[in-house]
Amino acid sequence: MQQPDPLSATFAALADPTRRAILARLALGEASVTELAEPFHISQPAISKHLKVLERAGLIEQSRHAQWRPRRLRAGPLRDVAHWVGQYRRHWEESFERLDAYLRDVQERQEQGNGDDHDGDTDRPR
Amino acid sequence: METTMTATRIDRGSTETTTIYSEGGDLVYERTFDAPREMVWKAHTDPEVIGRWWGPHGTTTKVAEMDLRPGGAWRYVSSAPDRDDIEFYGEYLEIVPPERIKWTFMFDVEGVGPQGGPETLTLDDIGGKTLMRAVSHMGSAEVIEGALATGMVGGAIETWDRLEALLAQG
Repeated sequence: MQQPDPLSATFAALADPTRRAILARLALGEASVTELAEPFHISQPAISKHLKVLERAGLIEQSRHAQWRPRRLRAGPLRDVAHWVGQYRRHWEESFERLDAYLRDVQERQEQGNGDDHDGDTDRPR
Repeated sequence: METTMTATRIDRGSTETTTIYSEGGDLVYERTFDAPREMVWKAHTDPEVIGRWWGPHGTTTKVAEMDLRPGGAWRYVSSAPDRDDIEFYGEYLEIVPPERIKWTFMFDVEGVGPQGGPETLTLDDIGGKTLMRAVSHMGSAEVIEGALATGMVGGAIETWDRLEALLAQG
């Protein structure tokens, strides 16, 4: 199953170290293509290609007011996505912990035989 | 267990209790529970039991919909004191009691829209214990790289945001 959703586009854009470095630079303020190309030993067209990918993922935008059209970061989507990734990991890890505790609890109760585990489908809501 | 070719496993920050790795376009969480498989299965398919463990600490989960058959819909509502409710929802794709559930796992990210994709949950009976494996099919290794890099980049940007705010205070 393919999912060409915005989040995948964001993740794909972030998978490249040059593009991450560009974002890190833009986090400090807007910059021109020439400025962005400076720290990398790659051509300006190559940088432009990276910028296009970032732009399509909604991570950066061109400001229109200046003639040299500097790029700037759109931190919003990135922050949402980063938040989600953290949440997702936490979701599973902590759910597993809770499930573990729950299973132990149920088994202990069964072992103690304090009950009613076999008279029908009683599930004892608490 | 079937094996597909030999995609490389890359550890993605396993903890003492949980093994986390990526393999091709899949992100995998594995953990062994000291309980029989039937019981772990029930914990995943009984709405009342799900409410007792599903979600991070400090959250509560209500099962709003659970039509446990292929094509059936599911919807969980997760509540926490410090945020608005979050809904997780999707569709069951495959149900094989007591060992496998394949479903789509979706949620809405503000400003981005519905997100998520197919996941497979497998329960293996390993001598009275249960090996549980949750696989998120993210599509490509590239997507996984990016997802994991996001945490770093996002964290760095938040730090810069705070620095900026601090500097702005003079």
